[in-house]
Amino acid sequence: MILVTVRLPPGATLEDAIERLDLAPEEVDSAYGLVLIDPDQGLYGLRVTEKAWREGAFSDPRIEPYGPPQ
Amino acid sequence: MRIMIQLRPTPDLVAAVTEPGPSPSTADVAGGLPGVELDPAFVPVAIPRPLPRSGGDPLSLDQPLDFSLAAEDATVLVRGTISDDDLAARVALLSSLRPDVVGVHADPVIETSLTCGGDAPVGDWRDVERLLNVAALSAEGLDGSGVALAVLDTGINAAHVARQLGRSVTLDAERSWNPSGVPGRPGEFDVDHGTMCAFDTLIAAPQASLIDVPLLMSRRPGGSALDGLLSDAVAAFAHLRTVLEAQPAESRALVINNSWGSFSPRWDFPVGHPGNYSDNAAHPFNLIVASLDRAGADVLFAAGNCGRECKDGRCAFPDRPIVGANSHARALSVGGVDVNGERVGYSSQGPGRLTARKPDLCAYTHFLGSRAFGEAEPDSGTSAACPVAAGLVAAIRTQWPASRLSPAQLRSLLRRTADDRSEIGFDFDYGYGIVDTAGVVAALRRRAKRVA
Repeated sequence: MILVTVRLPPGATLEDAIERLDLAPEEVDSAYGLVLIDPDQGLYGLRVTEKAWREGAFSDPRIEPYGPPQ
Repeated sequence: MRIMIQLRPTPDLVAAVTEPGPSPSTADVAGGLPGVELDPAFVPVAIPRPLPRSGGDPLSLDQPLDFSLAAEDATVLVRGTISDDDLAARVALLSSLRPDVVGVHADPVIETSLTCGGDAPVGDWRDVERLLNVAALSAEGLDGSGVALAVLDTGINAAHVARQLGRSVTLDAERSWNPSGVPGRPGEFDVDHGTMCAFDTLIAAPQASLIDVPLLMSRRPGGSALDGLLSDAVAAFAHLRTVLEAQPAESRALVINNSWGSFSPRWDFPVGHPGNYSDNAAHPFNLIVASLDRAGADVLFAAGNCGRECKDGRCAFPDRPIVGANSHARALSVGGVDVNGERVGYSSQGPGRLTARKPDLCAYTHFLGSRAFGEAEPDSGTSAACPVAAGLVAAIRTQWPASRLSPAQLRSLLRRTADDRSEIGFDFDYGYGIVDTAGVVAALRRRAKRVA
């Protein structure tokens, strides 16, 4: 899965995003859902399969605790 | 420049230095050295002469040696200062004018070695409480009451925190949140890194309400026991914005502690790729951090444990290890010092990748505190420094909600009042310095008078 962003009207749902991006429901991480990133810009994030997405993906790097030092 | 001067005075003077009893003064041994300001407080020291055994090379130190303090063999060391201007010529002149000068050596400043991972604790959390002047905060009514303090980590064990602190803790279960697929109830997670962070936030803000976000507990194929994905953090921040927006606008107070980050570029797009995280302010997580700041949240990130002197073995960025949101302009990036005020050797140094002037400041770490990792194990890493600073921020928010003091103003106040460790203002080791409660309280009093 990769993280992508999309601009949608206020109050948008995951179904709205799927329709806007022309994706199949199984190509989307429905458990993650649609996440509002910046309400001022109407920017939302969702996770989709790499196969479904060719351009505009953002990295979703692994994150770890900063301690104790190893 | 501070120097040591090695001399070969007369044998009777050497004998007076080596033998018990009153020693000759520096002036007796080295008086009249041209261009040198001698240190009269320094007692001259005899240096034995290395002698090779059984006819070895008299110029080599790489062989079995004996050492002689006999008056005809030994030399005497004094110390002083010589001007930095035209240093080489001055040193040459010194040797040519005074045949008793054997050598002129640098006398560099020496310091205690820095605390590293695996070292024993330096002080305990009561020392941190004293250094943060929690009593003064409390006297000002700054104890975290009514302030939401989110700990995005491995989950909190509230019972352990309360037991170690010896007092009750407030956990806001209703506003706590799990990433999708993460089981467990707020405040009931195993004792681990997140419990340490929660404990450390409550040193300065004992009455803050903890919001438990077990971000680093997502279970994915290939992941380790304690890690997560940045997309989980995007979702967590989106949840926290709903928490913030549910608060009355005039009394918003939400502090977000992030003692985590990305150790390696391996999981990232290359720098310059539009999807990159480490160096790209347009990455969705960096955008949502900015959006939370604008909404009134205080966002704090640990600077990381990739300090040059003893970096964590996982550090894989070849340089500039304060990456992504840990170097965000709208977040406080927190480095670590021990309770003696010395930077711990693993605390990451700037410049940061999104913002060069990182870390912003330092707070205390490597002290005996939560005992989350064992009875004698310290709360360590910039992972501990960050929540110590977050606690101070939460304490301030008790009476200074975002409507009175914006997150940007609060960051500026903390930087401005920090105890500068470098004597040159900002530096890449300590940022603007160590958090200083007395300075913060004084600045808030002045501000309160101004706006009254």
